[in-house]
Amino acid sequence: MKLVKLLLPLITLTLSALSVQAQHLSDTSLVAKGAKVYGENCARCHNARPAEEYSKKEWSVVIPHMRAKAHMTGKEALAVEAFLASTLTADVRNISSHESAGVPKRTGAELVTQFGCQGCHQLKGEGGTLGPVLDDVISDKGEAFVLQKIIDPKFNNAASAMPKYPMSKEDIAAIIEFLKQ
Amino acid sequence: MKQVPLYSAVAAALLMSTMTTANAQENSTLDIGRLALAGYGDVTYIAQSNMKDEDGNAIQNNVVARFIPIFLFQLSEKIHIEAEIEFSTNSEGETETELEYANMHYFFNDNTIITAGKFLLPFGQFGANLHPSWINKAASNPGLYGGHGGNGSLGGITSIMGDTGINIANTWTLGDAGRIFTDFYTVSGPRQEAGDHGGGVDMEVKKGDNNDSMAFGGRVAYAFLPEWEIGLSYYSGDYSDDGDLNYSAYNIDFNWIGSYASVRGEIFGSTAETEGETEAEVEGEHGEEWVKDFDKNGWYIQGTWQARQLGKAWLNPIELVVRYSDIESDFDGSIGHDFEEDAGKMGSRIYYGINYWLEPSAVLKLGAESTSIDNEGAGHGGIIDDRVFLQLAFGF
Repeated sequence: MKLVKLLLPLITLTLSALSVQAQHLSDTSLVAKGAKVYGENCARCHNARPAEEYSKKEWSVVIPHMRAKAHMTGKEALAVEAFLASTLTADVRNISSHESAGVPKRTGAELVTQFGCQGCHQLKGEGGTLGPVLDDVISDKGEAFVLQKIIDPKFNNAASAMPKYPMSKEDIAAIIEFLKQ
Repeated sequence: MKQVPLYSAVAAALLMSTMTTANAQENSTLDIGRLALAGYGDVTYIAQSNMKDEDGNAIQNNVVARFIPIFLFQLSEKIHIEAEIEFSTNSEGETETELEYANMHYFFNDNTIITAGKFLLPFGQFGANLHPSWINKAASNPGLYGGHGGNGSLGGITSIMGDTGINIANTWTLGDAGRIFTDFYTVSGPRQEAGDHGGGVDMEVKKGDNNDSMAFGGRVAYAFLPEWEIGLSYYSGDYSDDGDLNYSAYNIDFNWIGSYASVRGEIFGSTAETEGETEAEVEGEHGEEWVKDFDKNGWYIQGTWQARQLGKAWLNPIELVVRYSDIESDFDGSIGHDFEEDAGKMGSRIYYGINYWLEPSAVLKLGAESTSIDNEGAGHGGIIDDRVFLQLAFGF
């Protein structure tokens, strides 16, 4: 009992040192982190589920449920929400996104970062392992395959967890050019 | 005195909660919803032509369907409510309902979640997280969970699934990939079944408690994300009406998740104190009272492999599964005794399956399973128990 009493303050101090600061959902760095947390945690128990299975509002209710199931921290759960939200447009199915206009042109590298591709894929030695390595994906699979995969991630694998991103044609072309390098 | 470590751990967790200040979801700009419906379901065809019941009657091939919605409600960014109800049809054609869990999460801070209500106990991994049919890679349950879902001759040896009480969960981040997960809970606990030798241990969740002693337990796990997780669980509760008989159990679980393959398993052991008295030497007098241990032990290991590793598009949805389970139980160190039902058994079960994934959360499973009871004389011993499953399972 004495040992327990002695350890309690030590445990408390240690734990309090682990406290984190609140982070705003609009922080773009959350998306990349969220993709990483998504890739690392979902598959611990089951296939990662594509973002389009729920709406943004539904995800905001589902994620706290999964936070408890997977022992995610609040910060990690918020990052996953940010990642999922980044892949969804208002209509969820992202049908109209390929024709989007008026968005400042972004480089392939910026887009890969913005959409958190390395949360699931390795690129230049960094990234997750949920999806295949992207370094040689153009030469191995062909440009047409990668183009189709980004437009319709399930075209070759119905069980693919890859989100259907709200990208314009220019975005997709920029990413493919980046992956060729 | 056994409960001192639990109370200390709970106190530590609460102290930690008051000291930490993070509130990560404040000022979120995400569209905040209030209600979501999730869940899972399945329809299973079971061919078991050789299986007979205890009276020797053939058990018909059957089709079983279940629908298990999960109601999720976000009361605020701090409070989340969830309930899961299982709807199924029994052999009489009646609809059965069962409340799997109904609880409230209070997100005390970034690291700590307090759960109150009826919840799935964090004891091992299968009961808490892996049993939903779209998550469970096989169409049946591991041998030590055999009783959950009714899988014939190999009765499950653990039923530590859910109970009513309070749980405090914490997550400790150790660098980029390391995590320590802790759960400590206290719940109503087991009850005493009617019968000789103190009766059996009844783990079914019921209203109220049969004694003044709460059960307690917890799980401590280390994860090295995304590939490794190993956990150690413990559970202890007095189950007799007078609180004199104890049931305790441990579980070691492990996961390895690769890009195309996975290996997971659990090791389980439990001890139930039983009581009785020796035969009196003089008629009309009482014999000597005794308390002896009834032990149940088991383990399973499961491996999966995804054929998409071969790089052929038509193989992408295919996954192979194999699982081996082993159980044994003994009374006071001996297999041979006159207890009935699942006592005194040594058994094993092997499952081979091929899964075809229709969606990330919808799968068609074809599986074959063979169960053997190794010690003759035990219930169901010597009966061939082979079965084939075809199951469609989906999460939504």
